[in-house]
Amino acid sequence: MFNIYKMEKKFGDLEVLKSISMHIDEGEVVCVIGPSGSGKSTFLRCLNLLETPTSGEIYYNGVLVDHNLNTKKLRREVGMVFQRFNLFPMFTVLKNIAYAPMHINKMKKKDAEELAMSLLAKVGLADRANAYPITLSGGQQQRVAIARALAMQPKLLLFDEPTSALDPELVGEVLGVMKQLASEGMTMVVVTHEMGFARDVADRVVFMDKGYIVEEGNPAEIFNSPKQERTQQFLSRVVMGV
Amino acid sequence: MDTLMQLHFSQAAQYLVPVLLHGFGVVVQATLLGFVLATILGMFIAIGRLFAWKMVKGCLYVFLEIIRGTPLLVQLVYIYYVVPLLCNLIASVFGVKLDVQIAPLTAGIVGLGVNYGCYMSEVIRGAIVSVDQGQTEAALVLGFGRYQALLRIVLPQALRSIVPSLGNYLVMMVKDTSLLAYVAVNELLLRTQTFASQTFFTIESYTYLALAYLVISVPLSHLVKLVEYKLKTVRR
Repeated sequence: MFNIYKMEKKFGDLEVLKSISMHIDEGEVVCVIGPSGSGKSTFLRCLNLLETPTSGEIYYNGVLVDHNLNTKKLRREVGMVFQRFNLFPMFTVLKNIAYAPMHINKMKKKDAEELAMSLLAKVGLADRANAYPITLSGGQQQRVAIARALAMQPKLLLFDEPTSALDPELVGEVLGVMKQLASEGMTMVVVTHEMGFARDVADRVVFMDKGYIVEEGNPAEIFNSPKQERTQQFLSRVVMGV
Repeated sequence: MDTLMQLHFSQAAQYLVPVLLHGFGVVVQATLLGFVLATILGMFIAIGRLFAWKMVKGCLYVFLEIIRGTPLLVQLVYIYYVVPLLCNLIASVFGVKLDVQIAPLTAGIVGLGVNYGCYMSEVIRGAIVSVDQGQTEAALVLGFGRYQALLRIVLPQALRSIVPSLGNYLVMMVKDTSLLAYVAVNELLLRTQTFASQTFFTIESYTYLALAYLVISVPLSHLVKLVEYKLKTVRR
């Protein structure tokens, strides 16, 4: 779905991404791992143009992603889940999910709410439809955020450290929903520190450091026999106990 | 005691209270319309100063400095006396004979609206900036455009957070309607002045005038507090 050639991103003098080339295929679950500040999130945010790459080319289904491309249309097909959930605090859970389908896809209120209810059931929160986000736990908020992204029926979902802001005991419920999505064939790009998730669910693991893709391969290759020294170092520090 | 006996509060009340009651209508009208104008203008200025082209930002900044650097009273007088003359002058340069006049109340409402709009724009601008950037991003990734994200998601949250300060501006505006007396709007102060100069009930008249403003502004500021409390308890 995505083909990325030599993508670079600079913030002023700071080079965050240096010549990133990779592809994301339909139905694939790609996990991006790496130390903080390695450019993982920036990479993800370039895919839906929350950040504009400084140079390089991104093709989405064969079409060059640039100013001529309809950004709104791209974003409707590429959903995103944030680290800090970013639910709309003034809306109920139900409205959070039904809002975009109603106003962007011009769905009727009744249909949008039905869709929202079915998605809430899917993430196990049907009983909280009329609650406000502030009254939910972090894990529940993130599950609502996933349902909100799904409501636009995206072809691909980007996850930006979806469990990093959660209490440890709430991580499982969010990863559970993500696993279910993966098993249903959703294309997913997940920036994460959850190595267990990457190992069990990913089709491909990408290790990034200092703006480069150091190594990529299937989880067994990366976790059991990493080739690059930098990958070995990182994994030995992080994976201990997984 | 003899001196005190010369005060005629009840007699003054008998004539002045009906006069003041008529004046209330003018105050309410000027405040409501002025406040609506100020809010709309404040919102446009705030959004313009945040998101418009550099040229527009610069112009808005200069305009803001002019309005905030001059007294409201001077602005009112300028709008009422000078602006019509300027219009006529400019028209005559182009060979058109014009006789623009501006009604006192209109001048007053425009003056209040523009002046308060400028001050309120700073409050609104701060509130927009303080809404988490993640809210905009969440709206963008769902497929909303920049302006839709601003209008549908960010602005409602920003406005909710500044209801108390906007409420305070409303109470201040009620009191500042007294300045409209200087552009011949027949509001409370002008009516009282007229009454006092005719009857020489100076102490009585102006005491009632002060009370009249208290009767409006005290309940109003409590109402603002109530709304603030409601907004705090419901959500967020």
